[in-house]
Amino acid sequence: MVKLYHSKYKIFKSLLIIRITLLFLIIFSAQAQTQKDLPFPIYHFQLKNGLQVILSEDNSLPIVSVVIAYDVGSINEQQGKTGLAYLMENLMFQGSKNVSRMQHILYINRIGGTLNAITSEEKTIFLQTVPSNQLALVLWLESDRMKYLEIKESNVERVKDSLIEEIQHRKTSDPYLESSFAFDTLIYPNFAYSHPVIGSREDLREITIEDIKDFYSTYYVPNNAVLCVVGNIERKRTEELIRKYFESIPKGKEIPSSPSLEAAQKKSASETFEDSIASLPGFHLGYGVIPKHSGEFYSLSILNYVLLRGKSSRLHKRLFKRERIVFDYSGGIEKRKDFVAFKLFVLCNNEIMVERSLRAILSEFNRLKSTHLSESELTKSKNMFKVDYIRQYATSLERALFLTDAYLTHGTMDHLVSELNRYLEVSAIDIIGVINRYFTSDRRILLKIKIK
Amino acid sequence: MKRRNFLRLSFFLAFLIFVFPLQSQERYRKSPPFPEPLDELKFPKIESFALSNGLGVTVARREGLPLLSLQLVIMAGESHSPEKFPGLATFTAKMMTKGAMELSSSRIEEIIESIGGNLSVSTFLDYSVFTFSFLEEYLDEALEVLSKMILLPTFPRREMDNEKRTLFYELRRKGNDPEFIAQNQLFRILFRDHPYLKGAFTEEPIKNISHRDVLAFYDQYYVPNNAHLVLVGNLNLPTAVRKVSHYLNTWKNKKIESQFIPIPEPSKNEKICLVDLPQAEDSTIYIGNVIFPKKSQDFFPFIVLNQVLGGTTNSRLFMNLRESKGYAYFAFSEINLFKRSGVFLIKAKVRPEVVNSSVRECFREIEKIIKEEITSFEIEQAKSYLIGNFPLQIETFESFCSRIAEAQAFALGNEFWNNYYENIMLINSEKVFEIAQKYPLLTPVIIIVADKAKIMEHLIDFKEIEIYNSRGELQYIQKIGVDE
Repeated sequence: MVKLYHSKYKIFKSLLIIRITLLFLIIFSAQAQTQKDLPFPIYHFQLKNGLQVILSEDNSLPIVSVVIAYDVGSINEQQGKTGLAYLMENLMFQGSKNVSRMQHILYINRIGGTLNAITSEEKTIFLQTVPSNQLALVLWLESDRMKYLEIKESNVERVKDSLIEEIQHRKTSDPYLESSFAFDTLIYPNFAYSHPVIGSREDLREITIEDIKDFYSTYYVPNNAVLCVVGNIERKRTEELIRKYFESIPKGKEIPSSPSLEAAQKKSASETFEDSIASLPGFHLGYGVIPKHSGEFYSLSILNYVLLRGKSSRLHKRLFKRERIVFDYSGGIEKRKDFVAFKLFVLCNNEIMVERSLRAILSEFNRLKSTHLSESELTKSKNMFKVDYIRQYATSLERALFLTDAYLTHGTMDHLVSELNRYLEVSAIDIIGVINRYFTSDRRILLKIKIK
Repeated sequence: MKRRNFLRLSFFLAFLIFVFPLQSQERYRKSPPFPEPLDELKFPKIESFALSNGLGVTVARREGLPLLSLQLVIMAGESHSPEKFPGLATFTAKMMTKGAMELSSSRIEEIIESIGGNLSVSTFLDYSVFTFSFLEEYLDEALEVLSKMILLPTFPRREMDNEKRTLFYELRRKGNDPEFIAQNQLFRILFRDHPYLKGAFTEEPIKNISHRDVLAFYDQYYVPNNAHLVLVGNLNLPTAVRKVSHYLNTWKNKKIESQFIPIPEPSKNEKICLVDLPQAEDSTIYIGNVIFPKKSQDFFPFIVLNQVLGGTTNSRLFMNLRESKGYAYFAFSEINLFKRSGVFLIKAKVRPEVVNSSVRECFREIEKIIKEEITSFEIEQAKSYLIGNFPLQIETFESFCSRIAEAQAFALGNEFWNNYYENIMLINSEKVFEIAQKYPLLTPVIIIVADKAKIMEHLIDFKEIEIYNSRGELQYIQKIGVDE
């Protein structure tokens, strides 16, 4: 296939290239230098209405990923209105002024693209990957629903019904869901952080159309969003398109601040959850941490790999291979804003095994607290971590999500240049330090699952 | 009169001048923008070389990530398993990673994880493939551990027992999945008396596999002249060949007795089989017939046909059975192609009471494809989907590596994927119409997996139904409404 441009457009384009290049030279020379160590370019600018725009070129394949993240999640929900953030995400597919209901999905599917949306505790993300010549289509779709979403009673009711059905379905298909929700209320410091994203049936019914309109006009505004475009793009042309579709969207009011963690106290708990649908007993075990500085978070991340990532990790070897006392286990670290939870979920064949595995896990923690971690084990854990870190930007979509997340978490992407190295510089002493400081009995949260 | 009109007009013009700029700013929002011209898909160069022992090496350069993706293809798939041990190819491949000279299976896992690696094994009808990715600085370590596994496997007895148990329970678990049952049953009927039948193996024979069987299978097929190694990442062919040769040139080649696999005949008469799965809530329908092998002229027109009929949620089957009739949870069609043959199938999950109507609608859609030429609008839409979606499928090193390995295993040539765009562009309505006539799509085998008690009364279109259990054993033949 040959690229065919209208000649007039071509001239116009080359003129613009000169102007924009000059502009970039001035604005980005400092940035471009500091970020040369990342395996991809990053260009970041802000529109007048506050929309943050991140562009990253990768011309290896003719595709482009577009991610829009709104800095709002279930953490921002009020008591009695849980599930509102997720409801809002679903309503974004119910049609806007120029795009009728579900047409967004159809447009993307028809051209071979993929799309999805994710609501988490801290953010709501809309994502799509399409052939790169269809970038404008995605920007058109996303800007229309940012500017002109149609919030109609009939759509709200339909979405509520399907979400209530989804809650029901998730609860029946995962017998341990209720206990994990209960565990979250124990480990997380307050209601804002601990309640589930999917919300509750009762709350969903209570949410009014005014609540939704209010939520939309407060949070789904350019000054609360990040737009990230990664792939086979021409920077200048992409910026033009973004300005065309997004610049005229009015800036919203000042964004209310997220609930703070200042009052969070160190706490421990040991409780029992009576489960009526589960067939195997087990437990949730965890520790809540507010890292004092990012270095501690890096150490916790590597510790996570030493303990339970891979078949040669400490817990896998002990629980599965040596003692064979668990039926299944999963876990890891989970970050919600500034709060980090280390969580383990273990299932066993019977109550005796539950006690034995709990003792085995605590003894593995203790062993790590008091004995030396060998260089080879540390290197192994770091290499596994490194691969997973790199894979966060392996595809255009993953890279767009990675950059969006970095920006939303830190308000900048400057740290990315050295971030991987910061993880890889973690020493055995650092790991012993964080496990001794945070994996203590006065922070231990335990929820045993008893089957009825 | 005239003047007043003029006045009115000037008012109108003034009004226009005032309002128009506001409106025009937003006029582009009314309808979707036109796509720009699509950039060419620039495929990285793919180069191959054969070592003196016959091992093929193919390299494709991809930059941007410090990772390497490796696939080792062994042309030993389920069709090569002995008659009495269907599943042996799968089992042997799994055992290859469970112990090598001086290395226990735990030690192998540890070495792999130390280089940031990940190793998995899959077995298909025609070949098995070892997929190994790792940090690029550890190519030597990766090849060393791979060569030990492939050249000096020990098949420890304890690991064999473990693996048998794991595979047994995995198959037993899958044996409750209606889609797995339906696909296996379809293949059992279509490939009856054919080596491909072994692809639908069950858990029972796994128990009886002995150490000797595994060793014999390994000796026969795990030879370099029956293998191909693909590497994707930031490296070139000479480096790759030098390193691969260093670790794998002691792998001895050997003449292998190539097994002749005949080309299976398609089903010429419609046939319906019901697999009884008591307590199944829904009914799973698989309708399929034998078509062509992976390497075939018919590939491109047929994938466009498949796209129109049932490739996505915008295709005819889904629009009809789900969106318009509301019968189905899903309704798609797909193509599974192998070295000697292939299967085209329609699959749908429907409510039990509409199973008969659903089968009828599937047939109506096939008939429509055969009798009416598809409009070029629909053809172009299908093509734009296939072209647009293709690069998404080769984005990761692993998925790209798989495509190259696949092209090697089926002898498609290194240019095959490179020419994918062009070949799709050449397809038009007539070519699809032509291909629709070529295969007996209207005399397929119909498999229904459902609770017999729930659906028997609804199956009014069929005079004779073969009833099977979920392990594929024929129970009896139900004849309905036959008086004489």
